Amino acid sequence: MKTLAFFNNKGGVGKTTLVYHLAWMFADMGKRVLVADLDPQANVTSMFLEESELEKLWDPDVDSKQSIMAPISPLIRGLGDIGPAPVRSISSRLRLIPGDLNLSSFESKLSEAWIKCLDRDEAAFRITSAFHRLIRIAARDFDADIILIDVGPNFGAINRSALICADAVVVPLAPDLFSIQGLMNLGPTLRRWREEWLERRSKNPEKSLDLPIGNMTPLGYVILQFGIRDSRPVKAYDKWSQRIPEVFSKSVLGDGEQLSLDDSSGHCLGLLKHYRSLMPMAMEARKPIFHLKAADGAIGAHSSSVKDCEKDFSKLADAILSGF
Amino acid sequence: MNSETLKSLIASGEIDRVEMTRSTKDVDKFREAICSFSNDMAGRGEPGYLLIGVDERDATFRLPITDELLQQFASYRSDGQILPLPVLNISKVPHPDGDGDVLVVQVTPHDMPPVRYRGRVHIRVGPRKDTASEAEERILMERRAANFPTFDATPCPEGELKRLDVETFRQTYRPHAVAEEVIAENHRTVKEQLAALRFFNLRRDCPTNAGMLMFAYDPLDLFPGAKIQFVQFDGEDLADEVVAEKTFTGSLITVLSEMDSFLKGRFTQKPVAISDLREQAVFDFPPDAIRELLMNAVLHRDYQSTSPVRFYQFADRIEIQNPGGLYGEASPQNFPGVNTYRNPIIAEAMHVLGYVNRFGRGVMRARRALEENGSSEPIFKFETHHFLSCIPKHPQR
Repeated sequence: MKTLAFFNNKGGVGKTTLVYHLAWMFADMGKRVLVADLDPQANVTSMFLEESELEKLWDPDVDSKQSIMAPISPLIRGLGDIGPAPVRSISSRLRLIPGDLNLSSFESKLSEAWIKCLDRDEAAFRITSAFHRLIRIAARDFDADIILIDVGPNFGAINRSALICADAVVVPLAPDLFSIQGLMNLGPTLRRWREEWLERRSKNPEKSLDLPIGNMTPLGYVILQFGIRDSRPVKAYDKWSQRIPEVFSKSVLGDGEQLSLDDSSGHCLGLLKHYRSLMPMAMEARKPIFHLKAADGAIGAHSSSVKDCEKDFSKLADAILSGF
Repeated sequence: MNSETLKSLIASGEIDRVEMTRSTKDVDKFREAICSFSNDMAGRGEPGYLLIGVDERDATFRLPITDELLQQFASYRSDGQILPLPVLNISKVPHPDGDGDVLVVQVTPHDMPPVRYRGRVHIRVGPRKDTASEAEERILMERRAANFPTFDATPCPEGELKRLDVETFRQTYRPHAVAEEVIAENHRTVKEQLAALRFFNLRRDCPTNAGMLMFAYDPLDLFPGAKIQFVQFDGEDLADEVVAEKTFTGSLITVLSEMDSFLKGRFTQKPVAISDLREQAVFDFPPDAIRELLMNAVLHRDYQSTSPVRFYQFADRIEIQNPGGLYGEASPQNFPGVNTYRNPIIAEAMHVLGYVNRFGRGVMRARRALEENGSSEPIFKFETHHFLSCIPKHPQR
């Protein structure tokens, strides 16, 4: 069982779309996949579920207990420990723990708890490890091979608590100035969280509590949304793409020394095109691009783009699996 | 199948006909086994068996064979991952060593091989489990039943390769039906590519009826009924004025996609009051229900008949009528629970193209769409030579 988080502190690079497609790709490859939506924007949930199901999920008048908020609520109200995680079955090999817009109300509890962990406060450890324990139980129930965690684009307490659940982290990037600047903050922050959690872990008073290890090994980055011609980045992006490996290894991996050129791209897990006209088609059909069929509009030239997309994602999925 | 037969089957040690397992989770392996048994590469003409809940090395091993498990295996027949639809017989047999049961999946060799699971032709030869090479696939094709089981599998001597839209077959159909590595081998002629998917008969050197219906630019001269006739009437019967009319003709692959676009904008949602305080947006006719029943008509119709599929919209209802009554084992008593396919190759093609998601669910999905929309129940009429679905308009629209 491997847990993988996708994280970039700059939003809008297409991270959620990446998580959605990778989840389906791993399932297509025969893996049992659990997706945990820990982003208070709950975008990946709205990709998986129909409009009408989302309404039921988040309608304030319906006490549905079907999102991540159900097991978290008792903690927020200070009434004890987590309940069981609600899980949606998407296909025989794919399950989802649905996100919730109200998850943001957990932020302050998590911030407090992070500090109180240093005082060996058991309740603080229960709160800090809530995500980890929820995910572990749901994954064991399903006999999952791989767990994907989607988080929001910020350095808040929710993300900190979500990321310490991860064995490894993948960074989705757009090849532009903002992503490069984001990387410079992201690396040090991940390292700081790892150290801080290590320090706290040793202070846990309740030995029976299942705590995350907090490895968060940076697996590499994925470059998204290229306007690619002949599968090569166009000029404007080229400059930024070439800078990414160096910045990534310096700030995320914390390598002081200069990289030799030949292994500079070792951490690039893949390049994904924009798949321009296919993305809206996929959203409408509620399928990943590589499941689109003629009936969804994938005919003629689109047909071969669907196959290309499948190749790209399958290569990326292989790269991620071999990185573990 | 009884315990005696089961005992000798377990003892037989025939690895290419029997697969035993104690797991219920290894779905890929099960489907690959069903696919290989359907292909019967060794050509024994005998069924293959998947035995769930037997462990040769542990005679005491038992597995509770629940209804849920039986349903799980029954779903492998109709979820369209294995095409053409495999012929399965699923039963619970008492374990030969007493107390407990074994789930037995009997797979009959298919009469239209090669059978594919996710675009790959799985086979077993002795202990070897593999996907078929080009040569092996050819052997399977040659072994197809000489007496053609269905009309769509029958060769169409009046048809010719040059009448087929081969470009669309190659670009749109084949990539979805055949695994990529098979396409990459690229030694097959167009005729062989078509034949491998049952659209061409190599022995007679002509397309099959399914090939003509699916891909011929204009199949009407051979199949005069192969069209969908839409008429909208300004009233409640055929004597009322016609306000719109459209006939869909051509290869089934274009008819289906035109039909789909036509339906997309046709029906509208409007808010109606469901109580004094609440409104709900409802369709006059829920598009999902209409689509499912139309697809059903195209899939199950009798293509030898000269009648078209009729799609009539009246002021108070929609009627979809297709030539050909219930087929095979289906009867008014067991409808829609039991279905046999009059056109298995066309059914397979509609799944490959994505017009059918799961076999045997269309009527259920249509009923659900109507219910969610607050419409009345659909009515089905079974005649000897026709089948009619009648979909009532929402009472408040």
